[in-house]
Amino acid sequence: MAVDANNGAQNLPLFVPQKWEREEGGRFFHTGEGGDDSLGKGNHPAPNRINNVAPGVITAKLDDLIAMGRSNSLWTLTFGLACCAIEMISTHMAHHDFDRFGIVTWPSPRQADVMIIAGTVVKKMAEPIRLLYEQMPDPKWVIAMGTCATSGGPYYRSYSVVMGVDHIIPVDIYVPGCPPRPEALMDAFLKLQTKIKSDAKNHQIDDLSEHTAAASVAEVTSATATVEESA
Amino acid sequence: MTEQDPLAGQPEAKGPEASAEKPVRHGPPIVVAEEQLNERGEQTAEQLARTLGALALDAAGRDDTPWARVDASQLHRAAEKCRDGEMGMDMLNLMLAVDWVDRIQMIYVLYSTTNNRKAILKADLPAEAPKISSVTDLWEAGSWYEREAHDLFGVEFPGNSDMSPLLLYEGFEGHPGLKSYPLNDYEEW
Amino acid sequence: MSTGPQFDSVDMMLNMGPQHPATHGVFRMVLTVDGERVVDVTPHIGYLHRGTERLAEVESYGQVITLFDRVDYISNLNNELAFVRAGEKIMEVDAPERAQYIRVILAELNRVASHLLFIGTYAIDLGAMTPVMYCFRERERIENLFEHVTGARMMHNYMRIGGVKSDVPDDFVPWVHRLIGDVRKGVEETDKLLSTNEVFLGRTRGVGIIDGPMAVSCGLSGPSLRGSGIAYDVRKDDPYEIYPYLNYKVPVGENGDCWDRYYLRVLECYESLSMIEQCLNQLPDGPIMAAGRRIARPPAGEVFSHSENPRGDLGVYLISDGSDKPYRVKIRPPSFCNLIGLRPMTIGSYIADAVAILGSLDIVLGEVDR
Repeated sequence: MAVDANNGAQNLPLFVPQKWEREEGGRFFHTGEGGDDSLGKGNHPAPNRINNVAPGVITAKLDDLIAMGRSNSLWTLTFGLACCAIEMISTHMAHHDFDRFGIVTWPSPRQADVMIIAGTVVKKMAEPIRLLYEQMPDPKWVIAMGTCATSGGPYYRSYSVVMGVDHIIPVDIYVPGCPPRPEALMDAFLKLQTKIKSDAKNHQIDDLSEHTAAASVAEVTSATATVEESA
Repeated sequence: MTEQDPLAGQPEAKGPEASAEKPVRHGPPIVVAEEQLNERGEQTAEQLARTLGALALDAAGRDDTPWARVDASQLHRAAEKCRDGEMGMDMLNLMLAVDWVDRIQMIYVLYSTTNNRKAILKADLPAEAPKISSVTDLWEAGSWYEREAHDLFGVEFPGNSDMSPLLLYEGFEGHPGLKSYPLNDYEEW
Repeated sequence: MSTGPQFDSVDMMLNMGPQHPATHGVFRMVLTVDGERVVDVTPHIGYLHRGTERLAEVESYGQVITLFDRVDYISNLNNELAFVRAGEKIMEVDAPERAQYIRVILAELNRVASHLLFIGTYAIDLGAMTPVMYCFRERERIENLFEHVTGARMMHNYMRIGGVKSDVPDDFVPWVHRLIGDVRKGVEETDKLLSTNEVFLGRTRGVGIIDGPMAVSCGLSGPSLRGSGIAYDVRKDDPYEIYPYLNYKVPVGENGDCWDRYYLRVLECYESLSMIEQCLNQLPDGPIMAAGRRIARPPAGEVFSHSENPRGDLGVYLISDGSDKPYRVKIRPPSFCNLIGLRPMTIGSYIADAVAILGSLDIVLGEVDR
């Protein structure tokens, strides 16, 4: 029997999808129409098998939940290097409004999640960039914005330019363009969100690559430590 | 405009590996522009000649900007005369070093905010161990330009107290402004 | 001089940058402070030294224009104009009148866009978050026009030695008329909001004073120099393009403090907008590119030409050896020289004012380091 939201019992939620049915005990169950994986319509939540047993309760892998939280509140380090920084600021400002993705710019590396390498990396700046990367807490992501940060770009032949920031720190997303449009940077962040979520889904404790990655981070840390000592 | 032999006055080829054989130049002959001063430039040139007197070894100019070449040892004196004399060159607009392979030329573009006139001083330095006295005591702007020329061309400026690297960093080897400093090559892959 | 007991105090070194939100890029300065007072300041630059001048020696003239786009990446069109003017001077060609008008319209629009960015970021430096949103709203409108005309938001590569790449679109004139109205409203709004704000005045009035002779000796130019009462503007003193046919004033300050330097830029926005209006009314028909060879191969020789950038006197010293590549390109970077004035301005002020002073110079690190 289909239940109309307005004529139902007192404890009914305001919006009840048509394909949900209510049995005597006040429980909802799914009619099977559209399948379990189909999305809900309008404001209706997507059907979930768990609601058959306990409405209002969600179960998920903790990794997935954490990844959902992380990917929707990415704080970027306020860090502009060159031309691309202007487009990065534009993206944050009124017209393009980066805040709607939960992306907030933060001036300290200690609380930042994402580092946007917005511009040319020169050799003199390489050491500070690596230091900033080290100062960011895990997990952290790096976006190489523009061709300079990706490969050296128009300054490929220069004596003082690093041929891509991936010579110094690991990079997750590369954005082409000189400079990339704000839309391209937004796309990079959407890709990064997808990456974070899918990484959590594919995360396996026994994965050997995990140990390899830890080793490389340790190597980088020790290298930086040596530099700090000598400085 | 006058035409001249394509290879005469041609600077040496860039890069150490290319200097082994004499460069063969293809393409149209090189044309040398005739430098000509306009009326305003003539007036400034007269002022400059009066100011420098016998210090000027060579003088010419283009449009409204005359130039005079002075001996490197006399440059500070010439610059001081330009600043304090009738020309009143109170701003060091630009200072640059040019690598002519056989010599290094220092070029000082002076500007007077009171008379609104420009003039250029040039001085030739030897390619090995170039050295010229500092003009930091005349114009504050000299200090950073000199540090830049020291970084990129290896010119020494006795009289400038701070010669630490400005654009480059401690430990950078070589002087990348020089024509002999190699640039990265394109790699197609 | 206090009459109380004298204590020995040790000066403290305070490092700012190269990653610091108030240094407008990768600029680093080491402040030596005695309590809250700045005793000495040592600027460190070169964190964005890309070797533009050396690279220009191995690129053809047409390619060098793209490098100039990236030298001062906030006022790209003004930089292109500086280089193509030097190229025209050495090749002894003149751009057709229509091309000159188009260039001046775009360069002045770029000046407004650059000043808007300055106003917004300066307000952020001093703790006001709202104006930057207003300013970027207007800047976005200008960039939309640039995209419509040149095909790119920032790196246009639009001007050529002897003219411009392509003619403007048909709806250019009405579009710019509409744009000017919008932007003028936006500038007025920001001006009313910020310029006479009590807190803003307190942070900028009488801060970072530099007197005229010192400013000239440091080589300051643009609004930073005019703030100290020296009326030096290349557009007036060494007229180029079609500037002599336009009716405009160059605002000059009195006190040489941060507020003067800031407010001159606001006034320049109004002047630029009125100049663009005049240009639109005078815009002639005709060719947009001078007749001649497509590949620039200028005669051997050397020229110095300069033009007025939003930051000041942008000069280009161009030496040609007769080939299709420049023998030497030297940029006279206004930000570089303005930054020399930072030391005399900052010594004796408070630490918090160092940020206000640095912001008021409106430096662009791409130009400082090249």
